[in-house]
Amino acid sequence: MRKALLLAACSAALTISGCSKDDGSSGSDAEVTNTEYPEQVFWGDTHLHTDNSIDAFGFGTRLDTEAALRFAKGEEVTASKGAKAKLSRPLDFLVIADHSDAVGATKALYEAPRIALLGNEFLLRWHDMMHESDEGSLRVTAELIDGAANGTLPEGLFDPEESADRIKSLWTEHGETLDEYNEPGKFTAFHGFEYTPMPGGDNLHRVVMFRDGSDKTSTILPFASFDAGDPEQLWAYMGAYERDTGGKVLAIPHNSNVSNGRMFAMNKLDGSPIDEAYIKTRALREPIVEVTQIKGDSESHPFLSPNDEFANYGDAGWDKCNLSCSKDMPPESYGGSYTREALKRGLEFTLKMGANPFKFGMIGSTDSHTSLATADENNFFGKHSGNEINNKDRALAPQNLGTRKGRFGWHYLSSGYAAVWATSNTREAIFDAMMRREVYATTGPRMQVRFFGGFDFAEADTDDLVKTGYAKGVPMGGDLTGGGGKAPTFLVSALMDPESANLDRIQVIKGWIDGNGKSQEKIYNISWSSPDSRKVGADGKLTAVGNTVDLTQATWENNIGAPELVTWWQDPDFDAGQNAFYYVRILEIPTPTWPVYDALKFGLTLPDDVITIQQERAYSSPIWYTPAAATS
Amino acid sequence: MKLLKEPLVHFLGGALLVFAFFWATGTGRDPADYEITIRETDVARLKAGWVQNFRRAPTPGELDSLIDQEIKEEIYYREALRLGLDRNDPLIRRRLFTKMRFLDNQEGVDDNPSDALLQKWLDDNPEKYTQSPFYDLEQIYLGQSAQQSIAATLDGLNQGTVKPDAVRKPISLPTELKQADASEIARQFGEKFVAGLNTIAVGEWQGPVQSGFGQHLVKITAKTAGKSPALDDVRQAVANDWRAAQTTRLEEAAFDKYRAQYDIKVTGRE
Repeated sequence: MRKALLLAACSAALTISGCSKDDGSSGSDAEVTNTEYPEQVFWGDTHLHTDNSIDAFGFGTRLDTEAALRFAKGEEVTASKGAKAKLSRPLDFLVIADHSDAVGATKALYEAPRIALLGNEFLLRWHDMMHESDEGSLRVTAELIDGAANGTLPEGLFDPEESADRIKSLWTEHGETLDEYNEPGKFTAFHGFEYTPMPGGDNLHRVVMFRDGSDKTSTILPFASFDAGDPEQLWAYMGAYERDTGGKVLAIPHNSNVSNGRMFAMNKLDGSPIDEAYIKTRALREPIVEVTQIKGDSESHPFLSPNDEFANYGDAGWDKCNLSCSKDMPPESYGGSYTREALKRGLEFTLKMGANPFKFGMIGSTDSHTSLATADENNFFGKHSGNEINNKDRALAPQNLGTRKGRFGWHYLSSGYAAVWATSNTREAIFDAMMRREVYATTGPRMQVRFFGGFDFAEADTDDLVKTGYAKGVPMGGDLTGGGGKAPTFLVSALMDPESANLDRIQVIKGWIDGNGKSQEKIYNISWSSPDSRKVGADGKLTAVGNTVDLTQATWENNIGAPELVTWWQDPDFDAGQNAFYYVRILEIPTPTWPVYDALKFGLTLPDDVITIQQERAYSSPIWYTPAAATS
Repeated sequence: MKLLKEPLVHFLGGALLVFAFFWATGTGRDPADYEITIRETDVARLKAGWVQNFRRAPTPGELDSLIDQEIKEEIYYREALRLGLDRNDPLIRRRLFTKMRFLDNQEGVDDNPSDALLQKWLDDNPEKYTQSPFYDLEQIYLGQSAQQSIAATLDGLNQGTVKPDAVRKPISLPTELKQADASEIARQFGEKFVAGLNTIAVGEWQGPVQSGFGQHLVKITAKTAGKSPALDDVRQAVANDWRAAQTTRLEEAAFDKYRAQYDIKVTGRE
């Protein structure tokens, strides 16, 4: 209230005295010098929930916008369940993406005086359950998710008209806090929300993020999926926002792995065929996809990529049923659920329709519902506050939130982060880098990955890889056209995270359309540690790097692998007439998963099926090759 | 008769009457405890709640039953308190706890602190804002485990008989940093390396300094102490921190006020 009054007074006085919230000290993007080309990688999380999300609050999160920002900036905070929480290194940017559906509603319900709810049996029951115990609160949240997925929530429960006032003031105040914490050049706080349609429990969620400050974002309200569950309606909302305010906004699909094949379906949501307008709009509005996060990894699946021995990462527990687990997902549905297959489908559209709806770059983010953007295995605060770091049962307990079938705690990944090659740490520069897809995903470690494509790179160009990369080619996310029949060449470098593990290998993953119009994929190992002793066999597989993990200590030794891998590569199977994409996957040497740290701390015995050792990884955005005649 | 005008006499007289009433009725009850008043504001609240649920005003009959319900609830509430049903009920304890905490948080923090307040905060918490030292340095990466004799290499480097490039292992890290502060160095080399810089002298090749990548020889050519910034340079950060600290302080102060009244003993704590 006080804030609202202050703001009103300020805007009234603005015309005469220049009274402004932004008194100049916080600076603006314009005051920061941009480098000539993207010299630095910036680390962030585009997908974090705070106590304003209906489910996060229900799960027990009590940390607000400000706490989330302070934590991301590297400060120590006390987590909802009492543990001290701090990142090993601060993040450079953060998108708080609270669910737009009934934003702030559980918090409001919880804080409402009971007597105000006496006339509403439904809300009263939830109110009482939330106050009764943590378990009660979790049950409310499960019922909410279930109800939303199955369309069984009582009509008018989250009536947008009735809650508009609450949402308006919450959204405005939230935006002002973001502006206060946004420090151009040092730390970037983005406005955003999550749009969460889930037809029949199939996940079609998108994070929506703005390039603008609250002067523009407060002119609109976050777009809810309760009323408009077709992503095309979201894109229309985004278009209207840009037209009305001159601002910019993008959307990031995620958890395609539990979409039951619908995130990258070959049809529109209503089943009608994808047309040119759909393709153009989708490509414009959704330049990047979140490929890895706590609820599993969406890169690929062994069913789709039987020749890829690393395709099963983060699939366990997530490939059986959709988000709400109301439906089993048959393997035939996986094609629309995993990003590699979607990139291949994109090539098919390019060939058939001259344009590509699935032309996206790749990032990781957490989707943490604890207000804490953690993706390190030894500092994992769980998916929600019921599973924070001090809950000793979290690794092995069934996770039946919104589900009636078994997903277990250990299925959840401590993943991931978004890496952005930008010219400065500002809203403008980071957002623009995302629009041009100069981004990559990691499952947590902060390895630095460079990937350039061109027709004229030579082996010696690895000496000054970045400068040559920009001078003679395109960075990750870019396009190659023509080339006069020459096979494209690539420069790749990967530098380990100095706080994490050595690197095992660099792979190029190529997808293309063969002569019969069918999409294909192939994986090339292009650089690896200890090349004297490790060789590629006749089956194309490279000798495994080894394993130094000590499960009893939750440690590993960096005495295998390499601190850095740098290489030049040319496609040996190139056909100038075939549309193709190339992206790189960087693998670390094996390290322990977060349940191993829990086992050590709490004295647990992990059952055999728990995955205890993994190879963390980075996925670059693709570079697309299009024959000169066709358009992309 | 002056005595009759004294307030104290009025009070005592009134008290006597109450006792007389209890004595006479033999119930020991305070009539005020048995008085229930439904005010206009209560009726308005009941009506509003109805409108919110049913999107229309209650009929007179419905309003009557809402009021009856309110009265019935109030009576049961008071009788329950008399029976002590509120004690040892975790649900009620918890709800009252939440409600108290919520009430305490209503007292907001000033959104517009003066410069003097912020300056004082800056002065009281210099460690949060003082910049780290700035380094000019050169580094030679030796690999994850150095093969050569480090002492001999250092001698050679410092005497100029060994060129840095002759011992350097390739890695895409900068060989030279200018005016880099601790956070910039940590981003590129990791925290361990920054800690290592504190242990070496300025002016000549020293080492090895350990980083996450392996071992490095380092020559710090200049180290300038970071300065304490002026308020204008860090105003937003100071205002954010100040506000966050005030919120915490208010919460703690509200609790301390209650806690101070209690004599607390804990036995059996591990």
